[in-house]
Amino acid sequence: MNDFERELEDELHRILDPMTAVPVPRRRVPESGGAMKKLLGGAGAAVGLKVLTGFAVAAAAATFAVAATEVASTGSLNPLNWGQQVTQQVNACKVSAERLGVHGIGQCVASFARTHGKTVSASHKPTSAGNNGNGNGNGNANGHAKDKSTVHGNSSGHGVNGTAGNSGVTPPKVTTEPPVTQPS
Amino acid sequence: MKEAEVETYEPGSEADFERLYRNAYRRILGTLITLLGDRAAAEDCAQDTFERAYKGWSSWRPDAPAEAWLHRIAINVAVSDRRRERLRGVGEVIKRLGRPASPPDPATFAESSALVDAIRKLPTRQAAALVLRHYHGYSNREIAAALGVPEQTVASRLGAARRQLQVTLGDLRKRKIG
Repeated sequence: MNDFERELEDELHRILDPMTAVPVPRRRVPESGGAMKKLLGGAGAAVGLKVLTGFAVAAAAATFAVAATEVASTGSLNPLNWGQQVTQQVNACKVSAERLGVHGIGQCVASFARTHGKTVSASHKPTSAGNNGNGNGNGNANGHAKDKSTVHGNSSGHGVNGTAGNSGVTPPKVTTEPPVTQPS
Repeated sequence: MKEAEVETYEPGSEADFERLYRNAYRRILGTLITLLGDRAAAEDCAQDTFERAYKGWSSWRPDAPAEAWLHRIAINVAVSDRRRERLRGVGEVIKRLGRPASPPDPATFAESSALVDAIRKLPTRQAAALVLRHYHGYSNREIAAALGVPEQTVASRLGAARRQLQVTLGDLRKRKIG
């Protein structure tokens, strides 16, 4: 070892020894979680949040669309209202047919069912593009007259691309009046 | 490297890693202070070193001294830090264009010495070989094991580092005398 090297060592110890003579600090513990945490943190978290927000918005939109359809078709958010309306319509048609002396209420109920079917299919059309136009309005009403051997009123209310409602066999072709709510 | 020769460690053992940390921290810190010339940066890099070492602790092989392995990690950390520091320096120069230079940080200034400044100007791996040889007292073989290079490479790096230091320090002395 030459003088320069000896001088170098002495100088290094003179400078560094006091600097390193410090209490050893607590070791920094690496964060747990690894790759998954990195993915979920930072940019991953931002993307994840956006995706979740997108799903939430889409779900909310779908819920509102369904609710709006229900309200448009029945006037109420309660799905039982449609059934009540059909029952009322059938009763009204029966009263009307009895008053006019007509057998069967098929046509009477069919007109109501068709209207409902069109309403429902029209409200589904913009939200479900590409569903082959199957707008079945779920408007199916069976009207059974008292004399079952002669008349069976069966009507189906279909949507835009559906077939028109089939009314039951009505040998004596009689045009049924619109339902009368208060029979005289 | 006398301490490392008597100490034995079991790879993956939490208690042994804690013991290694306590035994080697100051020496790693000394190496990093010399390489980086900044105490705060050296402390930060020392923690980075042990963090990286902890991740690979279970796969560490006891055929080489644990402290030599730590030094290799520390030198890589220092190389990365100096690279980042150079990039930051370029950014600062661009920011300062046309403005008066700010005075040096007193903390950094107090730690500076002609020798440490001269060592900092060396390429990091040359400086590392110099510190391991003349501060920690490693043999060329141990330095070769620590750095993962042949002994001849260590010898040539040490020779180049000494020559450069002599030139730099000689110039400083001449300026002081003059």
